[in-house]
Amino acid sequence: MYLELEHLDKRFGEKRVVRDLSLELAQGELLCILGASGCGKTTTLNMIGGFLTPDGGRILLDGQDITPIPPEQRPVTTVFQSYGLFPHMTVLENVTYGLKFRRLTGQQIRERGMSYLELVGLADRAQSRIQALSGGQQQRVALARSLAVEPKLCLLDEPFSNLDAALRTKMRHELKRLQRELGITMVFVTHDQEEALILADRIAVMEEGALAQLNTPEELYRRPATPSVARFLGVDELEWRQDGTVWKAIRTRGPI
Amino acid sequence: MSKNNPVGKGASGDALFPAVRRLADRLILLLLLGGICLFILYPMLCILWRSLQGEGGLTGDMYGVVWEQYGRSLRNSVFTATCTSLLCTLFSTATALLISTGRGWRRALGMGLLLITMVSPPFVSALAYIQLYGRRGWITYRLLGLSWNPYNCWGVIWMQSLSFVPVNALFLIGMLSRMDRDSLMSARDLGAAPRDILRDVVLPLLRPGILVCVLLSFVRSIADFGTPVTIGGRFTTIASDIYLQLTGYSNLEKASAMNMFLLVPSVAAFFLYRWLMGKTGPVSGERAQQQRLQLSLSRCGAAGWLALVTGGLFFGMIGLQYVCIVATGFIQRTRGALSFTTQYLEELLEYNSETMVRSVIYALIVALVGTLFAMLFSYYIYRRRVRWNTFFDCLATLPYMLPGTCFGIGYILAFNHPPLKLTGTAIIVLANMLFKQLPTTTKICAATLSQIPEAQERAVRDLGGDQLNVMRDVIFPGLRPAFLSCFAYNFSSSMTTAGAVLFLIDPGHQLAVFKLFDAVYSGEYALASLMATFIIVIVLLVEGGVYLAMGRKERSHVS
Repeated sequence: MYLELEHLDKRFGEKRVVRDLSLELAQGELLCILGASGCGKTTTLNMIGGFLTPDGGRILLDGQDITPIPPEQRPVTTVFQSYGLFPHMTVLENVTYGLKFRRLTGQQIRERGMSYLELVGLADRAQSRIQALSGGQQQRVALARSLAVEPKLCLLDEPFSNLDAALRTKMRHELKRLQRELGITMVFVTHDQEEALILADRIAVMEEGALAQLNTPEELYRRPATPSVARFLGVDELEWRQDGTVWKAIRTRGPI
Repeated sequence: MSKNNPVGKGASGDALFPAVRRLADRLILLLLLGGICLFILYPMLCILWRSLQGEGGLTGDMYGVVWEQYGRSLRNSVFTATCTSLLCTLFSTATALLISTGRGWRRALGMGLLLITMVSPPFVSALAYIQLYGRRGWITYRLLGLSWNPYNCWGVIWMQSLSFVPVNALFLIGMLSRMDRDSLMSARDLGAAPRDILRDVVLPLLRPGILVCVLLSFVRSIADFGTPVTIGGRFTTIASDIYLQLTGYSNLEKASAMNMFLLVPSVAAFFLYRWLMGKTGPVSGERAQQQRLQLSLSRCGAAGWLALVTGGLFFGMIGLQYVCIVATGFIQRTRGALSFTTQYLEELLEYNSETMVRSVIYALIVALVGTLFAMLFSYYIYRRRVRWNTFFDCLATLPYMLPGTCFGIGYILAFNHPPLKLTGTAIIVLANMLFKQLPTTTKICAATLSQIPEAQERAVRDLGGDQLNVMRDVIFPGLRPAFLSCFAYNFSSSMTTAGAVLFLIDPGHQLAVFKLFDAVYSGEYALASLMATFIIVIVLLVEGGVYLAMGRKERSHVS
């Protein structure tokens, strides 16, 4: 498999926040890690990104053990929850920041930056200041910045949690389109069941640091492995796209 | 809304005399605004008026005289202030980076040294300088055998730079801790090495703060007369000349005109500062919690090493300074041999205990009254938005811009003849401290006030309470954290600031900081050292008490 997490463990002091977590992911897939707050999903993401060192287990990407590699050298990028954009740089400078550290000419850097801005529909805002953008536009800049370095794996930490409901729905579909177009492998962390069901090729439900179930949205929805997974999903009805992926998740009763 | 709704009325008898209570409300406001006009506006007008007086009525002659006679001092002032602001900012930035990236005991030690320097009276570094690097200094003379004259402009620049660091460094540390962690993580995630992160993200984001430090150090250096008077020797600045004009010749016209020269750069710097501060706010409110900066300075290339070395140098010098201060108070030299002695301490307690007790009492009075004043004032100005509020807000900020000497002379001019003859009384000293510190305390209160939802206030009114109920039941409880910060600030400033008070104090009623200045000036170094140690310990104790009180409040919030 493309990405393999093998028996990951992480403790903060006495508390074991990730327990014996093993996952596999194929190239070009989008995996959602779904769970209530405090279930260890962001910790897992930070271990894949290299910001935390696991206490046990290892992480393989494209056959290579990346566990000891520091984040600046990992072929993995992260879109942070609050975006982490550089407020003192323009939109284009933000998007091309990671390219400074590649062997590229100024011309190449600019071209690649612009092509990714076009991809997210912000080519006309290249020279704007970050503060002049709306929340949704800032979100797209952050996404373009992470994709521009053409990573092997892109991680997203609840990236839509700062957007309003309408924009969130729009950005979900846009992310899905981008991911398909570029064929990029993504791991997406969320606590929103609907978001996971819409976006994911496969969903990993986490409970108290451990993996509760890993499956396609459809299987997960039809056959929850445990009563707690079923309760957490709390979804009544799904609308399908023609290709068999989820278009809309409908909840008539909230999670209990 | 429902004016005759009986709900909430009667129970405490509050609503029995609505007219009286309305009058009380007006009276408080009148007292506050009257105080501001009398103790800030009036003295300033007096300076302006006096500086324009000549032999034949109103004239600008005095300015010409000052410009001619003191051109050299003016140039000295600008030169010193420029060098000090640059050197001090370098020290401050390095120190802030060192502390923000440090951990464990080193971080704690660094913060401790900064705090001690912060609460030190202003002449401490000059005192240590003479002891360490003077004609008979421990390092220059006894260790290195040098014989040199330490009384020059470089000593002034060096000592000012060291003693202005804490405020700047704490400000930068605050900015660094508020810096968006996700920005730093993103840079790393995209392939930036520590060197790149420092150059591309940390320093650019810190730039407005660094400029604020340059500016504040410049203004403080221009206004500082203590350092040049004690270790400047023949090198004089405009501030030290003002001091000499006042104490030596009592020439108030000249001193007033000289102060107006000081005023121009100070006011200009203040407006620049205000503009810059608008740019230093939190970059992102999300996840902006107090965290250590994850950056290894030794891996940050030349800039990182510069920060390590300069920061280390600063802490080395400061550490040495305080060892020297404490040692001077307790070590005796008889025929070349060193021995421990409590002789100076006994002398201090015998002759100066009255001065020390008086200082603490004055500081406590200013802390209490000043804090109450600031709380009420910020409520009326920022919440009630009484008429002319912007005007009064500007007036209340004025003392912040003014050099201490300026504010002091204003008080002498304003209050030395009937019906407002206050010179020689305790009131003039207390009022001067209170109003000099008012800009800062008002800002602290305003910041806290903005976090109290206005809905609470409306709820009180809606349920039948009046303005006084709002103050008692909503505003005062909500301002509790501000009360503690203001109290600590007022107390430590009153104990350690010398600027204006030196001109106002009555020789019969001395304060510790004045006595300290006297002792340094007249070469009684042991007494001065003990005095300084005493002031530092008292202020640290009070600040510690306030810190504990704050901590308990936070703990009770959690549970």
